[in-house]
Formats: sequence, C-alpha cells, structure tokens
Amino acid sequence: MSELVAPTLLDRIAARARTALPPAWKRQVDGLRYDDAGHGYDPLGLHPGTVAAGASALRFLYERYFRVRSHGVANIPSDGPAILASNHSGGLPFDGSMIYLDVLRRSDPPRVLRPVMDHFVPGLPFVSTFFARIGAIAGSRGNVRYALEQGELLLIFPEGTDGIGKRFAQRYQLQRWRVGHVELAIRYRAPVVPVAVIGAEEQMPQLGRLEGVHIMGIPYVPLLLSPLPLPVRYHIYYGAPIDFSDRYSSADADDPEKVAVAASEVKRAVARLVAKGLDDREGVFR
Amino acid sequence: MAATTRLLLTGATTPIGISLLRALLDDPAIEHIIAVGREPAGALGLPLGERLSYEVSDLRRSRARRHLLFGPAKERAVTAVIHAALHRRAQDSGRQIHDLNVEATRELLHLAERHPTIERFIFRSSAAVYRIVADKPSMIDEEHPLNLGPEAPQWIRDRVEADLTVCTHMGLSRLKILVLRCAECPTPNAGSQLYDYLQAPVCLRSLGFDPMLNLLSLADGTRSLRLALACECEGILNIPGADTLPLSRVIAASGRRVVSLPEPLLAPLYRLRTAMVGSDFRYDLNSWRFHFSGVLDGRRASAVLGYCPQEPLQWPL
Repeated sequence: MSELVAPTLLDRIAARARTALPPAWKRQVDGLRYDDAGHGYDPLGLHPGTVAAGASALRFLYERYFRVRSHGVANIPSDGPAILASNHSGGLPFDGSMIYLDVLRRSDPPRVLRPVMDHFVPGLPFVSTFFARIGAIAGSRGNVRYALEQGELLLIFPEGTDGIGKRFAQRYQLQRWRVGHVELAIRYRAPVVPVAVIGAEEQMPQLGRLEGVHIMGIPYVPLLLSPLPLPVRYHIYYGAPIDFSDRYSSADADDPEKVAVAASEVKRAVARLVAKGLDDREGVFR
Repeated sequence: MAATTRLLLTGATTPIGISLLRALLDDPAIEHIIAVGREPAGALGLPLGERLSYEVSDLRRSRARRHLLFGPAKERAVTAVIHAALHRRAQDSGRQIHDLNVEATRELLHLAERHPTIERFIFRSSAAVYRIVADKPSMIDEEHPLNLGPEAPQWIRDRVEADLTVCTHMGLSRLKILVLRCAECPTPNAGSQLYDYLQAPVCLRSLGFDPMLNLLSLADGTRSLRLALACECEGILNIPGADTLPLSRVIAASGRRVVSLPEPLLAPLYRLRTAMVGSDFRYDLNSWRFHFSGVLDGRRASAVLGYCPQEPLQWPL
C-alpha cells in the first residue's frame, strides 16, 4: 500500500525523527523486531516510525535531563515473553518513559518494551494514540495475554495509581502490590524481572490529591509542589529474572494463595533493589 | 475442497454471496447450490443450470422460509445451509428489518433441525457484534463481550440477537453449527459502513483518536466460507482480514482528506450529511470503533479451519 499512499504527517515526522537520531539510537530502532500486520503497524498499534519519533523527542530527557544510569540490563531476556515489574512514582509517568527508553537504547538485541497502561488511558485523546504507537498496551487481560503469547516484553507497575500518586512522605515505600503480573507470569510461563527506579520518587513531590475529580476518566488530580519535574538523576536497576515455571504450573495461576506468595516474592525483590539503589546513590541530583 | 456437495446459500446476491458461488462452481465436487435472494435471478450474473439454481424468496415471511427448506432444499437433498442474508442498509429500521435479520435466522435454524438431510448450519455473522470500549481488549477473541447495550442501534442489536440465537443452539442441536464473525469487508453493496464512510471526499474523525481497524477482502471472506464448508467443526470463529491499520491510514489509502473534529460535532454533522446527500453511513453505529481499536484475533480460526488471511485489499478501495 505504501507505494499508493502519499506519506502522512506522521510518516514525515517519523522519517525525520529517524534521521535525526544518533547512530547508536538509530541502530537500535532499526533493529527492532515487531509483528508487522501488513501496513507497518502491529495488531496492537505499534509503529516503529513513531518509536523513532518518540525516542527522538524524549532522548533529551533520558540523556540530559534525568541523566539515566542503568544497572543489570543483561537481566532482560533477549527473547520471548517477560514481564518487568517496577516500583512506580513521580506524579507523572516519567519512570515508565525512562525504563522504556533505557530498554530501547540498551537491550541487545534491541527490544521494544510494551508498557501496560491503566484502564483510563485509552480514553485520553492524543495520549492514547501516541502511547499505542510506541507500543503501550491498554491494560485489559485480553491484550496482555495476546502480547505474552506473541513473546513480547511487558512493563507492569504492580502499584498502579497508588504508586504514582503516593505522597512525598511515602517515597520509596512500596504501596499495595497487585498480583496480576504474577498471575500472568505463571499462566504464560514468562519470567518476571524486578526493576527499581531511583530518583523518580523525588521528581515531582506530591502534597496531596483532589479525589472525586475524574476528568476524562483520570482517577484523581495530583497536587504537585513543582509543575515540572525536577532534574533528579534516574538510576534504573534490573534484578535477576524470577522464573516461576519451575515451581508453579500454569494452572496455579488460578490459585490465589500461590499467586499471592509469588507476588510477595517479586515485591521483596523490588524492595531489595530499591534499598540497594538508595544505598548506592550519592544524592538526589547526582 | 468441499465436504458438503449440496447446499443452500442465502444472501446469494450480495458481493460475498456471488464471490462464493463463483468459487464453489469452480469446485467439481459441488453437485448443486440453491442460491437464494430477493432480487430477480439476473442479479446473480451467473448461468443457472444443473449445478446452480436460484430461488427468489422473501425471507422476512415465514411461509417463504418453510417453502424454501421443505420445497427446493428437500428436493435437492441439501446437506448444508450457509445463512448470509442480513439487511444491509443501516438507515433502515423497523419490524420487517428485524424479521429478516433475526426471525429468519431463528426459523431457518429451527427448520434446518427438522429437515431430513441438512446436517450443517453456517451463519455468517460480523465483527459488529462485539462491544468496543476503552477498558476491553483491542485484540478481540471469541470470548469478547458482545454489544448488548440498550443504546445500541437496531442495526447492531439485530446482528447480536441473530448471532446469539444461532450460538444458543450449539451443542443442543443435532446440526453442526458454525458462526463466522467476519471482519468488515469494505466493498460496495456489502453493507459496509466503512465503505460508505469513505465515499465522502472529506472524512471526519474524532480529534485525538486513531484506532486500529482490521479489514477483510472479498477473497479472504470467500475462502473462509469455503473452508467452513470443508470442515466438520462447530463453534464460533473470528475471521480477520489481512489489513490491520489505523483509521487515518485507511482514509489516506482511499485518497480522501481527513478533518479531525471534537467528538460531539461528528454525529450531528453526519446526520446532516445523510439528510442532504442520502449517505448510508451512520456515525452512531461507528462512534466507539472510531475511538478505540478493535482487531479480530483469528488464532482460533487458524487452528480449527486452517484459515489465515492471505489476500489484502486492493487500495484505493
């Protein structure tokens, strides 16, 4: 079809973004494998051109603003389904963006991360389309199952909105830890890679939140000390993958007790990485 | 290819019906096809003869349905029914439309159960039966919720009711029942809302949303029905097409201009357009799928039927 159709604005932006990327990034973007459904998009809406545009637009944040340092990227499986489970914080999901860019930049062979979005995100104009094009997945069971069966690499924040909405006083304290990621990992035999993000919890200190205001489905409105994120330094730690397949059968995904035990194991692993990251850190901005 | 050699096909004068007839007539194993339509036989554009007969029948009428199954279908000892007759015009509504879409389906199924030779009932349903909303999967498998919302227009409600009517007989009937939920086939005269949408030189779409669509070519739709005839299986199967792309690309590939507008303006503007130029496109039928992605997951059809989409659409449509 591409020969028949004049390039759209998105095509032109994507082409430009790709040429503007430095060679190391370009090599990664060009090396991405995805399930092309015939028109340059995968069935869930991923578009490599938009990945390039996103990387081009957000690279400044990754390299210059948050100056991301990551540790243990070799723990990310090079192939097959896997779930990254991370702590979540920051008022706005820059932590997800930085993990996404870090995986894109440093995974070998290059892999594109599929962040799992909360239910309200697909209802947001522009945001939902952009997120879908860069690979994010609406967080319904069917989509996630499909992605895992296709061997995708997912990013899940088990704390959900409780994590991103935590107050400054609660920083680096893991909130209610949902179990869905472990249920999926057990059912689809996917390893879980615990991830800790250090820095994001101080980027936009949250004083409180307006409950009961649900603009376009957003669960609450955060009251932030700073309207823009502070230039904290991000440290991302990838822990050793936890493989549940040797201890649990797929059917165990239906056993709430086993799932809860497994989720606690992931939570402890993330907490250990957070503690290590905080110990190693020399300062919020360093 | 076909295990079935004598069959009855409703909706024979639709594009998919004609395409299927051509394909089946090329298959020497097919002994006879009774094609059924409301139009005169000339609408079929195929030579009638030893292997193809045509019955003009108004399926809205119970007597006509009985005559069809216990007249020509009994004489010819057909063993399978492919029911593909659904009212195509989205602007029409009312009891008679419901009679064709739902009551005809229900009674054909009952009659087929009592018929001495019919063993198989294949219903060509559509992806329009699925509910597409933000918090449901965009990859639609056969377990996906159906659009049973009270706000759904009759065009959709009828399709859901007909589909469910057939599904409720599975496993309880002596017939082997297969429901094919086909992706939209954007072809003229096929009842395709997307095709009608793309007839306007300027297509309006909702600002900030660009959902993924899955589209089926006539060739793949035909092939899925042929595979269904060749298979002894029963159940519900999604039939996706080879084209999965965002709405914006569909519009661009069709050589149309696009104007993105806030959602509340679209339905009134399209109603105005219908009033002025008589288009069959209804925004209220499509508002959700023009917001949120809905792509059929065809893995069950691949496993059961051996169907995988192969023939992309010819662009521009």
